[in-house]
Amino acid sequence: MTLSTINISDRDHQIAKLSAIAIALSLVEFFFPSPIPGVKPGIANIIILYTIFKFDLRMGIWVSIIRVFVTSIILGSFLSPTFFLSLSGALLSLLSLIIFRNLNPKYFSLISFSLIASLAHIIGQFVIVRLWIIPHNGIFYLLPIFILSAFIFGLVNALVTNKLLQLNPKK
Amino acid sequence: MIKEILKFFNTIKAGDWFIIILFCALIIVSTKFLWNLPQGEYLEIYKNNKILATYSLNQKITKIINGAKGDTKIIIDNGRVRFVSAPCTKKYCIHQGWINKANQIIICIPNKISISILGNKKNYDSINY
Amino acid sequence: MHLNRLLLYFLIGLLIGCSDSKVNQGKDFIFGTLIDIKIYGESKIDAEKVSNEIFTEFHRLHKLLHPWEKSLITDINTAISENKSITIDSNEILTILNNVQRLETQTQNLFNPSIGKLIKLWGFHSNDYNHKKIPNEKIIQELVSSNPSMQSIRIENGILKSNNENVQIDLGGYAKGYALDQAKKILKENNVENALINIGGNILAVGKYGKRDWVVGIQNPRKPNVLATIALKPGWAIGTSGDYQRYIMVNNQRYSHLINPKTGYPENKTQSATILLPPAEDSGALSDVFSKPLFIIDKENKATMAKKLNIKYFLIIMNDDSILISESLNKEINWEDDIDKRNIKIF
Repeated sequence: MTLSTINISDRDHQIAKLSAIAIALSLVEFFFPSPIPGVKPGIANIIILYTIFKFDLRMGIWVSIIRVFVTSIILGSFLSPTFFLSLSGALLSLLSLIIFRNLNPKYFSLISFSLIASLAHIIGQFVIVRLWIIPHNGIFYLLPIFILSAFIFGLVNALVTNKLLQLNPKK
Repeated sequence: MIKEILKFFNTIKAGDWFIIILFCALIIVSTKFLWNLPQGEYLEIYKNNKILATYSLNQKITKIINGAKGDTKIIIDNGRVRFVSAPCTKKYCIHQGWINKANQIIICIPNKISISILGNKKNYDSINY
Repeated sequence: MHLNRLLLYFLIGLLIGCSDSKVNQGKDFIFGTLIDIKIYGESKIDAEKVSNEIFTEFHRLHKLLHPWEKSLITDINTAISENKSITIDSNEILTILNNVQRLETQTQNLFNPSIGKLIKLWGFHSNDYNHKKIPNEKIIQELVSSNPSMQSIRIENGILKSNNENVQIDLGGYAKGYALDQAKKILKENNVENALINIGGNILAVGKYGKRDWVVGIQNPRKPNVLATIALKPGWAIGTSGDYQRYIMVNNQRYSHLINPKTGYPENKTQSATILLPPAEDSGALSDVFSKPLFIIDKENKATMAKKLNIKYFLIIMNDDSILISESLNKEINWEDDIDKRNIKIF
């Protein structure tokens, strides 16, 4: 009889916990209908930002990807348009964070990262919408609304994350 | 709450302001370019992303379109158009109300019906018909 | 504080982005069609005031000239059908009747505003003209052979009488053009120098759009876009008779509202006839009236008819998509890319 052992580190535990919270927030958001279709605050992103700032970018990427997959499996939307929307938004915002990870923290705080990521997020989603879901130039009409909402929720998410970080300062 | 927000303001750094201003500029520019639309002249109706029909907006007429889940009713009213009834559950398409400008769209994903307004291509001031 | 100010700038930017300061536009729905008035270079308040004055005038004309809702014209028609005489106390109507009598002769009776009965028979005396069948041939023949004409109307000392009970006046081919001329007067009274008035497709240019002329697009009869654009010089008017605005479909056959008074049937070999007329007191009315004979008359005689009516700018689309155009108009017109130039014949 062979016994395979998996080493579960503290880090893995952290990732699991944070992912669970992010997934829970995604589900909450799903069940609260939004007044404008396509415009959602993206409160799960608070957890991603928190993870990146409290731990590191690599861990944030893990939490983000796990959130996208698990949420879609729970909601039964895995591999559906909704899933790809969510995935492309998440991937592009992670990409933007990777690109801008070296911004000087002397001048740029959490707010900048939150805004950049939320803009990248809606752009990622918009590309999928334009290319696949609604292949019509008319949707560009909605783009200013999406950008405005990305701005507002980017700020709000930064505010909440900031508060969370104050309550749980970096070790 | 207000105290929290004020505290948050103090954490905003120079670079953050730069990003915020850039973001605002993006909102203004996108609004200016994408929303400064001429009055629409024609209506296109799509089913499954394929053009079903084109109508002039300069009329008063009710159209019923058979979609994936049932009949969607649309009213064209002298230059503007709206959804009146649709078999979807959330009724976003109806709540969107009247649209009248070129490039505006209303989309009903459940019933796979969408409408969009075409403008004149702006190289003339009025149409003779 | 900083953010508040930013938001304020943002809102101001939004407002500036959303307004076009040079042209003010007014829209209304009168005569069963869309009225679109564009005024250049006046303040929004002044432009609105003048537009409203024009709309009020149009509503008055609508009530005066309407062919089937109660109006002075329907009163006259009732009197004619009962073989009675009627006293007319409106000098305006007397002038209009006089004008259309003259125009009928001038167009060799192809513009005939006395065939209201035929138009009604074909189902076009209704706002939604969704008749699904062709009228009885015998009734059409009877009406045509009774030879309705404005010439059967005698007006003496303001008393009107017709010796043909089948005469029913329908100014459908005149009223919109007349309204253009009325609008022109109102603009002049209010010292508005630059405007473009569009009544259901009939357009009159007053002045210019800044430094350039007003430009109008000419509707493609079979596609949802324009087939060409043309600069409309100050004072010029453009009018089109087309089979694509008011028509009924019976057994996949199109029957337009443009009925040939000599046969009683809609002309079906022409898709549209467009004319441009130079500045004149009645250029609006003429642009409405003169496109009809060009539409109705057979292909071989279209150019001759244009010459007879002194129309130097015309564009006619036949049912086989061939295009007949006058030489003067061909020099100035800008075709859209999808027009097959081989189909164009210049006169």
